[in-house]
Amino acid sequence: MQISINREDILTPLLLVGGVIDKKQTLPILSNVMFRVENERLTILATDMEQELRVTVAAAGSGDCEFTIPGKKITEICRALPDGARIEVEIDGEKAKIRSGRSKFSLGVLPARDYPSIEPSATTHRFALDRLVLKELFERTQFAMAQQDVRYYLNGMLLEVDAKTVRTVATDGHRLAVSEAECDLQESENLQILIPRKAVLELYRMLTEEQAKTVEVEAGVNHVRMHLGTMLFTSKLIDGKFPDYQRVIPRSTDKVVLVEREVLRQALQRTSILSNEKYRGINFHLQPQMLRLEAHNPEQEEAEDEVEVEYEGDELSIGFNVGYMLEVLGVIKTERVRIQLANANTSSLISSEESEQSRYVIMPMRL
Amino acid sequence: MGIHLLPPQLVNQIAAGEVVERPASVVKELVENSLDAGAKRIRVEVEQGGLRLLRVRDDGAGIPKDELALALSRHATSKIDSLAALEQVRSMGFRGEALPSIGSVSRLTLSSRAGDAETGWRLLCEGGQELDLAPAPHPRGTTVEVRDLFYNTPARRKFMRTERTEFGHIDQLLRRLTLGRFDVGFTLVHNQRELSNLSAAETAPEQERRIGELLGPGFANDALFLAREASGLRLSGWAGRPTFSRSQADMQYFFVNGRMVRDKLVSHAVRLAYQDVLYHGRHPAYILYLELDPVQVDVNVHPTKHEVRFRESRLVHDFIHRTLGQALATGSPKQDHAPLTAPAAAPSPGAEAAPAAPGPAQRRLSLPLRESSARYQAAFEMQRPPPAAAPDGAPQASEPRAEQAPRLGFALAQLHGVYILAQNTEGLVLVDMHAAHERITYERLKTTYEDSAVVSQPLLLPVAVQVSRAEADLAEAHAPLLGALGLELDRLDQGALAVRAVPALLQGADAERLVRDLLADLQAHGSSERIREGINQVLATLACHGAVRANRRLSLDEMNHLLRQMEATERSDQCNHGRPTWVQLGMGELDRLFLRGR
Repeated sequence: MQISINREDILTPLLLVGGVIDKKQTLPILSNVMFRVENERLTILATDMEQELRVTVAAAGSGDCEFTIPGKKITEICRALPDGARIEVEIDGEKAKIRSGRSKFSLGVLPARDYPSIEPSATTHRFALDRLVLKELFERTQFAMAQQDVRYYLNGMLLEVDAKTVRTVATDGHRLAVSEAECDLQESENLQILIPRKAVLELYRMLTEEQAKTVEVEAGVNHVRMHLGTMLFTSKLIDGKFPDYQRVIPRSTDKVVLVEREVLRQALQRTSILSNEKYRGINFHLQPQMLRLEAHNPEQEEAEDEVEVEYEGDELSIGFNVGYMLEVLGVIKTERVRIQLANANTSSLISSEESEQSRYVIMPMRL
Repeated sequence: MGIHLLPPQLVNQIAAGEVVERPASVVKELVENSLDAGAKRIRVEVEQGGLRLLRVRDDGAGIPKDELALALSRHATSKIDSLAALEQVRSMGFRGEALPSIGSVSRLTLSSRAGDAETGWRLLCEGGQELDLAPAPHPRGTTVEVRDLFYNTPARRKFMRTERTEFGHIDQLLRRLTLGRFDVGFTLVHNQRELSNLSAAETAPEQERRIGELLGPGFANDALFLAREASGLRLSGWAGRPTFSRSQADMQYFFVNGRMVRDKLVSHAVRLAYQDVLYHGRHPAYILYLELDPVQVDVNVHPTKHEVRFRESRLVHDFIHRTLGQALATGSPKQDHAPLTAPAAAPSPGAEAAPAAPGPAQRRLSLPLRESSARYQAAFEMQRPPPAAAPDGAPQASEPRAEQAPRLGFALAQLHGVYILAQNTEGLVLVDMHAAHERITYERLKTTYEDSAVVSQPLLLPVAVQVSRAEADLAEAHAPLLGALGLELDRLDQGALAVRAVPALLQGADAERLVRDLLADLQAHGSSERIREGINQVLATLACHGAVRANRRLSLDEMNHLLRQMEATERSDQCNHGRPTWVQLGMGELDRLFLRGR
C-alpha cells in the first residue's frame, strides 16, 4: 500500500486534527492519528475519546488500508519538509516509511482497529446554519465559559436553537454571555445542547476555515456533529443542566450609561495596571456625564481615570473585576456600548448601543 | 440468677480491667503515686517485661503503719477529701482505685516507712486478700512490689505480648513520665540491668540533656525553647523547628499541669500553629507544658486520664495557637535560657508564677558568641559593607542594633545562581535564594492582605450546598463572622445553604467544598481557619511566582539586602512549603572537614 500526496494537502488536515489530541497521554494510541485510505481519498482522524475530528482529502495511491501513526511526529515531519514537496507514505509491517525527495523516515504504527471511536447516539435533529453566523455566536460568548469548575455543566457552552433563533450562552458563575442570531429553520422543535469547552474551542477553529458557506449540524441525545467542507467534527455533550440564564439577566436596571467603547477600554487598561493583580478590582464612580475609574493595589499605589459618558441619573459607586469588563469590551464591535445598572450589589447588563443581540451580565465586586 | 451485690474482690477485678491493662499501666499508677507522695528519686525495677516482677521504690512521704491496710482498700485515698478538693486536684491520682485494683490481680507487697516513724512496715496481699503485716527495714518512702501480675485472671494473661513488647511499653511510659518532672530522678532496671539513670535536671543544659537522651540529640539541637504567660495560662517547653518534622506523630508530648494528655483541642491548636511552616503531610515534634489553675481543667473525664476538659476551651486553644505560632514565627537560633521550672514541684496557684523566660524579641538581639569564634571576628568585620553601601532599603533596626553583627552575616558570593554564601560570626551561611525570597514575599502579601479591606465577589449563580440541619444552624449563627471574611451564606431551607458571595481571592475555588470544610471545623473546634488557609494558599502561589528564580545574578548589595529582609521577616527560616531557607555550617564543622585542630 502506498499513497502519494502534496505537503500542503496533508499538512493542513494534520494541523487541524492536532488540536484534538491531548498533550499528555497514558494510552499510547491516543497520541496517534488514524489514516484511512479509500478510493483515492485519505481521511485523517484524531480523537481524545470525547471528541473526534476527521478531515478527508484526495490522495493518489494504490490499495485501501488504515493505520495509526504518531500525530505529533508526522506533523513535525511534514511541516519541516520544503514547500511543494511530494510525500510518499508506505506501510511495511509495523513501520510506516515516509519518503520525500532524499529524506526518509520510518515511524512506528499501531493497528487502526485499536483506535477508539465515538459511537454517536441516534440523530434527533438535523439542520444547516450559516458558517459566519455560527462563528460570530461562538466568538461573542466562548470567553465566558468556566474552566475546570467543579460545576462541570459550566465548563462548556449552551447552544439553543428554535425555528427563528439560534443562541449561544456561556457563564462561569461570575459573569454570563448570551448571543443570538436569526435563522430560518424548518423544524420548530427546540434544541438545547451543552458543548464541552474543548470542543467549543476546536469548533471555533474549524469555523474560521473558509471551506464552505454552511455548516451542517446533527445532534442526538449525547452527541453533536458538525460537517463543514472536508471536516467532520463529532463531540460528546455535557450531561447536565445549564443554569436558567434568563433569570440571571437583570430586568430592573434604571441607570443607563452610553460610552465610547474604545475610550473606556483604554481607560480601563490604564487603570488596571494598579489594581490588585489577583482579583483586579476597579471602582466605577458614576456621575452625570462622567465616569471616574479608581484602582489601588496592596502597595497602596493608586490610579484614577475619567471617561465622558452619556448618563443622567443618581451618583453610583460600584466595583468590577476589570478582566471581565475588558473581555466584554473586546468582543463588542460597535463604537458605543450601553451599560445598564441598578445598584452596587446587583448585576449589570452590557450590550452594544444598537442591538441587544449579544448581552453580557457581570456581577459587581464589593471592594 | 437473681440480682445480688458482687463480692468486693470481683468488683476490684472488674475495676482492674479498666485501669490495669498491661504491666505498663501498673508502672504508671505506681510512679504517679510516688510523684504524688513528693518523691525526689524513683527507681523502677522490672523482671521479664513486668509479668514476673515490678518494683517501684521512692523516697516520698511514706505510709504510716495503720494506713497500710487502708491503702489497699477501695476508694481510699489521701489525695482528696471533698468535691471541692476534686475540682482543684493537683495530684496525678484521686480516685483511690489503683492499689486495690492492682492488688486484686497480683501478689502485692507494700512496704513503707512514713517520715516520722521509727520502723518500716510491710503488708503482704495476694489477690486482694491481706495476708500479713510485719515490721520490715525500709528507708523513708515506699516500695510497692507487684509479682505475678494477672496470675488469677488467665484471660488477661493470654493477651500479654512478648516480654520485649511489654517492656517496650514500660520504657515508653516512663519516658513520658520523666519528661513531665524534671525535678525528679528516675532509674529503670530490667532483669537486673540498669538501663537508664536520670538524675534530677534543674538547669537548662541538664534538662536539654534529658530531652536529648529520651528523644534523640536531633530534637534537642533543633528545638525552640518557649515560655509565655498570660491570663492565668502558662505555656512552656520545646517546639521542634518545622524543619525537624516527623513522618509520624510520635514525638508529641503535651503536659497539662504535669499530666501527659492526648487531647483533640490541644493537638488542633498545635497543628494550626505549625500549619504555615510545616512541609505538607509531616508532623511536628514538641514537648510542651501547659499550666493553669486546676479549677479550669477537668481531669476526671477518662479512665486513664488521657483526655481532659478545659472550662475555657476557646481561650486555651487560642493561647496555645498564638504562643506557639509566635515562637515559630520569630524562631531564632538556639539560645541559653532559664531552666524550665518544674511544673508541679512548687504548686503555686496562678498568682505568683515563676518569671517567664526572656521573650522572643529580646532573644533575637543577643547573638551567642562562642569563644572559639572570636578569632574569626576580625576577618568577619572586613566583610561588612562600608556604611555608605549598606543596604538600607528596608526599615532597618535602630542604631544600637546596627552595631550588632547580623544573624545571617554578610553575603560573600552566589553559588551557581541558586545559593547565597554568607558569613556570620558562627561560620558559613548557605541561603536558598528562591525559597528565602518566596517567604519574604509571602509574609509581605499576608500583612498587606490583613491590612486591607475585605473584598468579596458576589456570585451570579449562587452555589447551593446541601448540609445537615445542625450545620445550617451553625452557618446561620456564624453569619456575621463569615460575612466579615467575605463569605455570604443564605439559608434556603432546613438543610440547604446558598453561597451568595465568596472572598474575591477565592473566586476560583470550589465554594461548596470550602463551605463544607468550614462547617465541619466550626462543629468540631468552634472556629475555622479554612478561609485564611485558602487565601494563604493563593498568596503563596502569588509569592512563588513573584520570587527570584534560580540563575538570576544578584549583586552583593542585593544579597545583603535579602539577608537583612530575612532577619526582619517572621517565619523566614522555612519557605512556604516548610523547607529550610538557610543552613549554618559552623567553623567547627568546617574545621572538622579539614581535620584542623586535631
